[in-house]
Amino acid sequence: MQLFPCPFCGLRNEREFHYMAEPGKFRPDTSSQISAEDWAAYLYDTRNEKGRVREIWMHQTCRELFVMERDSVTMNVLGSTSLRASAGEAAE
Amino acid sequence: MSGTRISKGGLIDRSTLLRFRFDGRDFTGHPGDTLASALLASGVRVMGRSFKYHRPRGVWGAWFDDPNAVFNVTLKGDELPNCPATTTPLVDGMEARAVNAWPNAESDIKGGLDLFHRWLGAGFYYKTFMWPDWHLFEPSIRKMAGLGAVDGKVIEGYVADQLHDHCDLLVAGGGAAGLAAARAAAEAGQAVVLVDDHATLGGGLYQGDEPVEGEEPRQWVATQEAAIRAAGGRILSSTTVYGIYDHGLAALAEDRGFARAPRLWRMRARRILMATGAMDRPITFADNDRPGVMSLQGAAEFLGRYGVLVGRKIAVLSNNSQSTPIVAHLRAAGAEVIEADPDEGTLRALDGKRLSGVQIGGRKIDCDTILASGGLTPTVHLWRHAGGKLDWSAEKAAFVPGAAPQGMVAAGAANGTFDLDPALAEARAAALGNAPETVATGYRIKPLWPQPGAKGRQWIDFQHDVTLKDVELAARENYVSVEHLKRYTTLGMAADQGKTSNMAGLAAMAAIQGRPIPEVGTTTFRPPFVPVPMELYHGTRRGQLVNPLKRLELEAQHRQAGGAMCEYGGWLRPGWYGPDQETAIRAEVLAARQAAGVFDGSPLGKIEVMGPDAAAFVNFIYYNTISTLRPGHIRYGFMLRENGLILDDGVVARLGPDRFLISCSSSHVASVELMLESWRQDGNDPDRIFVHDTTPHWATLTLTGPKAQQIVAALDTGVDLDDFPHMTLREGQFDGAPLRIARVSFTGDASYELSLRAGKAGALWQAIMAAGAPHDLRPVGVEALSVLRAEKGFIMVGKDTDGETMPHDLGFGVPRQKKKAAFVGDRALHSDTANAPDRRQLVGLTLPEGALPLATGAHIVTTGPKPRSIGFVTSSYFSPTLNRPIALALLEHGSERMGERVTLRHMGQTATATVSAPCALDPEGERLNA
Amino acid sequence: MRDDSHKWDVPQNFSAPLAGPGVTISRIIPDRQTLISAPDILARTPGAAGWPDRAAGDSYTLCLRRDRVLEVNGPARTDGWDGQQAVSDITDGLTIFEITGPRAMELIRRGAEISDALPSRSAVRQAFGLEVILCRRQDALRLHVARTEAQALRKQLADHITLM
Repeated sequence: MQLFPCPFCGLRNEREFHYMAEPGKFRPDTSSQISAEDWAAYLYDTRNEKGRVREIWMHQTCRELFVMERDSVTMNVLGSTSLRASAGEAAE
Repeated sequence: MSGTRISKGGLIDRSTLLRFRFDGRDFTGHPGDTLASALLASGVRVMGRSFKYHRPRGVWGAWFDDPNAVFNVTLKGDELPNCPATTTPLVDGMEARAVNAWPNAESDIKGGLDLFHRWLGAGFYYKTFMWPDWHLFEPSIRKMAGLGAVDGKVIEGYVADQLHDHCDLLVAGGGAAGLAAARAAAEAGQAVVLVDDHATLGGGLYQGDEPVEGEEPRQWVATQEAAIRAAGGRILSSTTVYGIYDHGLAALAEDRGFARAPRLWRMRARRILMATGAMDRPITFADNDRPGVMSLQGAAEFLGRYGVLVGRKIAVLSNNSQSTPIVAHLRAAGAEVIEADPDEGTLRALDGKRLSGVQIGGRKIDCDTILASGGLTPTVHLWRHAGGKLDWSAEKAAFVPGAAPQGMVAAGAANGTFDLDPALAEARAAALGNAPETVATGYRIKPLWPQPGAKGRQWIDFQHDVTLKDVELAARENYVSVEHLKRYTTLGMAADQGKTSNMAGLAAMAAIQGRPIPEVGTTTFRPPFVPVPMELYHGTRRGQLVNPLKRLELEAQHRQAGGAMCEYGGWLRPGWYGPDQETAIRAEVLAARQAAGVFDGSPLGKIEVMGPDAAAFVNFIYYNTISTLRPGHIRYGFMLRENGLILDDGVVARLGPDRFLISCSSSHVASVELMLESWRQDGNDPDRIFVHDTTPHWATLTLTGPKAQQIVAALDTGVDLDDFPHMTLREGQFDGAPLRIARVSFTGDASYELSLRAGKAGALWQAIMAAGAPHDLRPVGVEALSVLRAEKGFIMVGKDTDGETMPHDLGFGVPRQKKKAAFVGDRALHSDTANAPDRRQLVGLTLPEGALPLATGAHIVTTGPKPRSIGFVTSSYFSPTLNRPIALALLEHGSERMGERVTLRHMGQTATATVSAPCALDPEGERLNA
Repeated sequence: MRDDSHKWDVPQNFSAPLAGPGVTISRIIPDRQTLISAPDILARTPGAAGWPDRAAGDSYTLCLRRDRVLEVNGPARTDGWDGQQAVSDITDGLTIFEITGPRAMELIRRGAEISDALPSRSAVRQAFGLEVILCRRQDALRLHVARTEAQALRKQLADHITLM
């Protein structure tokens, strides 16, 4: 049972969190033509890396959306940043 | 009769006598005894039968390392199966029975199975009962196998208490190292929790009964305990650390007595110090499973803790130096001890009816007991749970803790430091986070491993009857990985989870293949370290609390009205009113069509979206255009996922220029709110949009039917019903509280949805019932509502849609073609899949006169020699309004098949129907304004 | 559909307090509870309590999110967006249980990994498998839970009291 750092609340039990997505993917502007490949990449492509990863999580109890950096092998948490405070940074 | 109780020593209270029974005979013991120690003290040797061959077995170890003595125990009418005799504290009045043996362990009728051992090797059952079908034999084989029997009676109040706690340092193990570490840390100001599985701390200190730092062991332990408590440390005895999980979470099971569920502690520790000691390894030799062959360490524990001498004439076969103090202790207690080097020659236990000696090469030693010690194995389970590495120490012939998991440290025998003084120094240093000085170990061992090809039956896993020959067979059949070896032979899969057998098993495999032991490696260590009951995990989450349903404010009123409360999408709601389901549903449907019905729509979502960007946001979220909706008006629409599939449907009302009320379906409130919140914060300006889920504040009662308006008019709401068109919303008052009336309809008849704060719902219900009485108003349950909506062809998301349904499949294709603004899922609605001509589309099915309703889920199939499913029935009811069955279905090319006769198949039955429009009643919608 | 009426205890109004060893659980009926959301709501409500802050007085404010508070027994407000903040009346939406007694915190630890050593800006957390708003008020603990889940929370608390 892990402890995750919500940027707003602080450390909380992992049961309160929900994995959302990998960061760095932007919704294509659907008012213009989007190729099937680009849309499929947006919908389905995931890196699913081993080791150091960046992920978007939601702290469900306070609904904070944030980027968490952690190690998917050791389960060590390396840091978290609110998606709001760092909209640019979260996008890489 | 070999074991005896000596007159002094041990931690038992000789002044009190406890009576108990085992296999039908009366025995006595003392407080502080386990079932096993009390039986040994009474001279009982045979305490069980092995799993497969039903060989007689005595105890091997004295604690969690005993695989042999497993009992069904009854106390005051409460029976528990599979209690390890060595770890079950004796209680006055216990009635114990050896499992897997009948009539008793001493003379088990299945003992004859052992004669066939030559044919019963690893994989025997699977190889033999392949033909014609394993399942033919499985029931009788399963019946023969297994350990204790469950009596099926639930023990009253057997519920585990569970709690969360935290500390700076968790010390697992209250032996010498654990006590020293806990004291050092507590005195340095750390919040310490010391956990030990025995009722009395001290670990292995009683085995040799040698002084510790100048004090007699009991005295030294008492001194440390007092010092730990004085420094603010906590001590949990009779508690096992059975698992280490992520981020320093340790799971502890606290024994609360027989027939009481243990208590689960979820202990979050900044640091964990593993001081779990070491276990003695068996020596693999012929007939090493005979009652009377025991672990040297186990015998020392029986002597030191329970004052039991396990034999009078004892042969000690030890390849290591830990035997010296133990032998001295045994001799001091009055035993005759003959020490022998187990490597001197081929070993064999000699017995007739009783163990009579041991053969070593050409030499024969007469004895009544053999104490074997193949070397110490550090108890590293917790280290491996946490992801720590193991190193092979050739010097100690054992796996010892290597690279440490984060926040964890090992000390004492668990760390391979088997000598007392270095262990104490190491533990104190580790407690304070310092590196200990390295002290040369005095522990000496001459490695001794199983020898492939050796004669006789040499046991490796005692409980599961895995012998050296089975390991050799596994190797011949190429199950050489230890994980395969384990599963093929079931080595290490018994109740003790390989505590005694794993090292011998992997060493045997290493020897067979000529590989070094560390290369063969160990199997994975997983929690729980000792067996724990399932109750420990679920705690109070049982019965109604497994998955508690949401409850209606008006539940009492529904029950009073005869409501049958059923589960619908996480809510407990009235399904129908009255004792007979079918009659009730029919009467409710007819009342709603002919007069009026009232149903409790409180679970419908009430999510408010507010703020300057609310309109643009809602327009983006919905498939349908919402931005053009005027205040006071309502629109029906879909929410999609980005892949174009339908997430939810429902109505949205505009309460003001920058305020919307989303009425999502009852079971989707949480998922819709989560989706809104994630889009709000990701891709929108969260400072300009706010989402409030106000669902639990409100109760909703919906009146529907030709008389609905008259009933609403009779209520004092202050709302003018004359100029109140369908799909609009008005705000009024009821009993001094704000009231919203929405004209939306899920039945096709004129409907008024009345919402107000839940606290006023009882008063509104009463007023509606009074106003409705002259109009034959009936309460309508969820089942009748489902029929009413199906008559109109209205869908329920998740029932009439599946994981492929897009809105244009349901006849809602306009926004897909015309909506200009971006919305969730928009691009996906133009993928090749979305454009495919053979998509399944929503249709109605009309049945010939007199036909029975179709089965929901029935497949619509093509005719011809190879029928193919082209769709299926999603909803099917008998319509009381139309007096015939109705159905909705998803069907390939559905919209092009109107009027076509189709064939349906379900469970071998065939039916026919005609494809029609989904709406079977009032397609012009005249009833809405009637 | 299966009639499960008998499987579920009929919800009570919780007016009778529940007492256990060192704990008493009583229901508190508030005059008003209001959700207020705004970008600057926390700046404007410096006293909004998180964990382990102590809410004082009959009227208090709890911090729920970065941009949301719960006002308990505050002034009457109009629902909706007023150009500055979003307001929703939630008085009947949240049932309040107050836990008093020396073992109150021990009871809470049955349902949540919580301690004063783990402070939190937000008062919302998961406890006993449910989303609750938990705060200290004077010497007691208060749990605000969705009305629809109050029965489940109360039953859990009652079960835990028997095991403590």
